[in-house]
Amino acid sequence: MTFTALLAKELRSHLRRERFVWVIIIYLLIMGLLAFGYLQRQNAFSPAYQSYLLSQIGAQLYALLSLVQLFLIVFFAPAFTSTTINGEKERQTFDLLLCSKLSAFSLLAGKLIAGLVNVLLLIAASIPLFSLVFFFGGVSPTQVLSTLVVFVMTAIVAGTFSLFCSTILRRPTVSTATAYTFCVFWMFSYWIVYFLIGSPLFISPRLPVWIQWLNVSNPISALNSIVSGLQAGVASFSLFRLHFAPWVAYTLVCFMVTIVLFLLSILFVKPNPLGRFLSSLRLLGKKFRPSTFMKG
Amino acid sequence: MIKIQHVYKRYRSVHALEDLSLEIPQGAIYGLIGPNGAGKTTLLRILGALIPPTAGQVWFDNEEITQSPAAIQRKIGYMPDFFGVYPDLTSAEYLEFYAGIHGISRSKRASTIADLLELVDLTSKQDALVETLSRGMKQRLCLARALIHDPDVLLLDEPASGFDTRARMEFRELLRTLQGMGKTIVISSHILLELAEMCSEIAIIRAGQLLTAGDVEHVTHNLSGGPRLELRVLERAADARQLLKDMPEISNIMDENDAEVIHVGFTGDDQALHRILAALMAHNIPVVSFAPHRTIDRLEEVYMSITEGVSSL
Repeated sequence: MTFTALLAKELRSHLRRERFVWVIIIYLLIMGLLAFGYLQRQNAFSPAYQSYLLSQIGAQLYALLSLVQLFLIVFFAPAFTSTTINGEKERQTFDLLLCSKLSAFSLLAGKLIAGLVNVLLLIAASIPLFSLVFFFGGVSPTQVLSTLVVFVMTAIVAGTFSLFCSTILRRPTVSTATAYTFCVFWMFSYWIVYFLIGSPLFISPRLPVWIQWLNVSNPISALNSIVSGLQAGVASFSLFRLHFAPWVAYTLVCFMVTIVLFLLSILFVKPNPLGRFLSSLRLLGKKFRPSTFMKG
Repeated sequence: MIKIQHVYKRYRSVHALEDLSLEIPQGAIYGLIGPNGAGKTTLLRILGALIPPTAGQVWFDNEEITQSPAAIQRKIGYMPDFFGVYPDLTSAEYLEFYAGIHGISRSKRASTIADLLELVDLTSKQDALVETLSRGMKQRLCLARALIHDPDVLLLDEPASGFDTRARMEFRELLRTLQGMGKTIVISSHILLELAEMCSEIAIIRAGQLLTAGDVEHVTHNLSGGPRLELRVLERAADARQLLKDMPEISNIMDENDAEVIHVGFTGDDQALHRILAALMAHNIPVVSFAPHRTIDRLEEVYMSITEGVSSL
């Protein structure tokens, strides 16, 4: 009940702001203009086009739109979540939340979901634009669905990390800057390491494990594996003799990272984390201690 | 009953509270007075189980606050010195949100919110956005929010700051109504007269230390030696002083010079006042003014003298 009250209030506050309407408009304008520009450049509006070429254009348009969407998600997810907790502290409303029955889990889950709903709304608003691709063909429904999963998982990790930043850092500007810095490194980690260490490591027949992990946790690599998967065939990721498609491995990594970041946020969101932890242990001890009635 | 026993609070090198002990009786309107930075907000935050004391204990009836902070917080309605409002919500939505996070069932929420809005006289503003409310209205809305889960104890941090005279009088009446409902109210302010009007008991805090505590009359009496009488005579001031010295109701004469204004300590009732004035008239001393100052009227003066040297800025 406490969770739904927080979620309702957060959504009410967000969606009531005029700024949100402008965010959707700008988001769709960027995507639409890029799609139009690409089609214009490929001369795709010409009636003389062969159907097999059109399907190629469809696949390329889908790859372009997906990549832009991925960047926009990584740009907007921190904007909606990186000041949620320290913003409450700055407004001096956090104490009032602490005095309520709101648990740390409900508080963080409510804040995270409310922030992510905004991002999911952006993704949903872009579906009509993505459907342009189906005029041209070249993209399978499986690709569309797996791309959607990558989008959602990327939004969740970016949102959870931003939430974690807003939990442990006092100032909203610092948490926002930290969240964006992380997102930039996350998006480009593979290439940053490539430039820092040099290409020999990357062109060896068997990549070191940590580079494989770096690759598998990279959203651009995951997206690339989907959009180019059906055409070129993409190597799978192996772990304990299990083989995963790169986007599946990416989804699993995102899931684990989200859980770890969320648990850390739960630990730090309320004051005196160690004291609360010990107090919970004491309560547990009392709960399982045999009662005097039982003893008697 | 709230018992505060030898509480210390330190923030690195800053000693916010130093060996502070207090007892707040059930059903009291208890005022915490002190200049800015005296430690009032820190004490209220400790009472609200929002921060733990560095040392010492705080008991709510038989529960120690650090042992069961969540249980204590359910008994407390806290109103910080900042509004703490969400400007995008209406007054009713704002209260509905807090009702939700305090676990009040949906079936009870509407009636609880309507009652509280009526109590703080904001029924007509229930659909107005919080950002459009005046300062006084926001403060009343915050009070309604602090009451949403029907707490036993209300902790109000500088609730009447910025109120005009009328709003302060209405707020005082509201507190009396809440006291009548059996609530214990702890209220802080750096404006002494604000609290003197509202509280049944007060504690004066300076630099994290308790200077004195008790009912308003008792505190002022302790600090200043009781009520005072101010006389102004046209002439024969020395005769007047001599006459007053021999009267049993006069405890001391504060100024021994020959000035026409005479301040004396006074311990009697209205009958005694009448006797003093009659005696002065009988001795043909030309009294121009004869002004008894009740203890409470002198509270501000006492407060200024004991907090002297402690900057409020």
